[in-house]
Amino acid sequence: MAISSAHTTTSLHSPCTTVSNAGFRQKQVIFFTSNRRGGRRHGGARTFQISCSVEKPVVIGLAADSGCGKSTFMRRLTSVFGGAAEPPKGGNPDSNTLISDTTTVICLDDYHSLDRTGRKEKGVTALDPRANNFDLMYEQVKAIKEGQTIEKPIYNHVTGLLDPPEVITPPKIFVIEGLHPMFDERVRDLLDFSIYLDISDEVKFAWKIQRDMAERGHSLESIQASIEARKPDFDAFIDPQKQYADAVIEVLPTQLIPDDNEGKVLRVKLIMKEGVKHFNPVYLFDEGSSISWVPCGRKLTCSYPGIKFAYGPDTYFGHEVSVLEMDGQFDRLDELIYVESHLSNLSTKFYGEVTQQMLKHADFPGSNNGTGLFQTIVGLKIRDLYEQIVAERAGAPAESAKV
Amino acid sequence: MASTVASLSTTATFAAAADVLPMRRKAAAGRVWFPAAARRGFAVRSSGPATPPGISDQVSESIKKAEQTCEGEEGSGECAAAWDEVEELSAAASHARDKLKEDNDPLEKYCKENPETDECRTYDN
Repeated sequence: MAISSAHTTTSLHSPCTTVSNAGFRQKQVIFFTSNRRGGRRHGGARTFQISCSVEKPVVIGLAADSGCGKSTFMRRLTSVFGGAAEPPKGGNPDSNTLISDTTTVICLDDYHSLDRTGRKEKGVTALDPRANNFDLMYEQVKAIKEGQTIEKPIYNHVTGLLDPPEVITPPKIFVIEGLHPMFDERVRDLLDFSIYLDISDEVKFAWKIQRDMAERGHSLESIQASIEARKPDFDAFIDPQKQYADAVIEVLPTQLIPDDNEGKVLRVKLIMKEGVKHFNPVYLFDEGSSISWVPCGRKLTCSYPGIKFAYGPDTYFGHEVSVLEMDGQFDRLDELIYVESHLSNLSTKFYGEVTQQMLKHADFPGSNNGTGLFQTIVGLKIRDLYEQIVAERAGAPAESAKV
Repeated sequence: MASTVASLSTTATFAAAADVLPMRRKAAAGRVWFPAAARRGFAVRSSGPATPPGISDQVSESIKKAEQTCEGEEGSGECAAAWDEVEELSAAASHARDKLKEDNDPLEKYCKENPETDECRTYDN
């Protein structure tokens, strides 16, 4: 880092000394060398950038099945940090990477070791570890975490082929999203925070109907068949990862409407592990108590089927956890504000920030229910975690923003 | 705030919500506040842009192939791989539709580049 500060002459407000200020732009010094460092598979001249503000990116893992809301969550997360996430400029148009001022999100499908044809020949799905190169995934996530630039392969979801690699420089926050961020122990140990999106079978079916029924060739039967054929591998390789997650967002059918299976009204649980460094779970009214809360009443009028919250301690795969649950949906702005004002430890920077974030992205799926609410809260928690880590590194006492 | 009884999801009370709605939602009159919540059943069939034909063909081809592969072979690795390809292509098709929607909407495009302008304010309190 001494080298980079010596070369950072362009900025008066050198990010090297800035503790935490989400949204500022990094000043970077670029060196061209012919060294081969970290790039196993591709020889020749290599580029690496030294970013002054980046000593070690904070690494976040997000696991979920295909079509279960990872992209929406990532858009919410990057929005909390300010600025929109865009694909790398001037790169492969089919790149799966998203870059914003603070955050780089990569898709772990890029570490497929077998392309579509290879998987078909061997009879393995993308969910199967045999279709993925965990050695390369580990090496590259480790390199990024150490502040090095990598050349990451690109898996092209349209052609099913591995495209030429793209250069990824270390950001402030590095998110790995996909099917297996917590599968390999070595990769798992690199994560500063991990999230698992746990979508129940009923809701998954409803969401895929919504996504695919418009598509020519699809029918209820084909959607069902696809879910069923992938289920054994999903249960064997993806689902077990949730035991390692620091936060799990569980999406279930509502209990407010008897026998509802339309998947329009959802019951969503935010399961937060206790004792995770830099992560203080959100609570309702009284930390550690068990609470059931119906916010609709004299002060707040809700429309059918209403809103119901629950909060309390529990155990999850042998871990102490706090669980916050929301069933139902927000129909009006004052409902959302009312709920926000009764939640504590949200890590907001000002009163109403959760509501503001939800309204800002009202067009994203789930903005009127627990999925959007809890994704936003987890985003705020990650910002808090990041700021605590940066403050700790700077030697200052960690002072988390709490409202 | 208490007086702002704005509907977030119904078109019927759209006008009542005007004072809290962002400028560009006003411009896109008729659009509902929470489109995801407003989708009812299979109405999604007729909404939004169509999938680019290339990917669309791939999806329907992959479904046909999966059905063939799985005939009498349910539970085989080949059958699972074939349906996994359907899932992968369906997800790609969905992403392509989203991208198209963004590219086709000049206001979305403008606001991407000029998020601070009045037309692009997404929160107005």
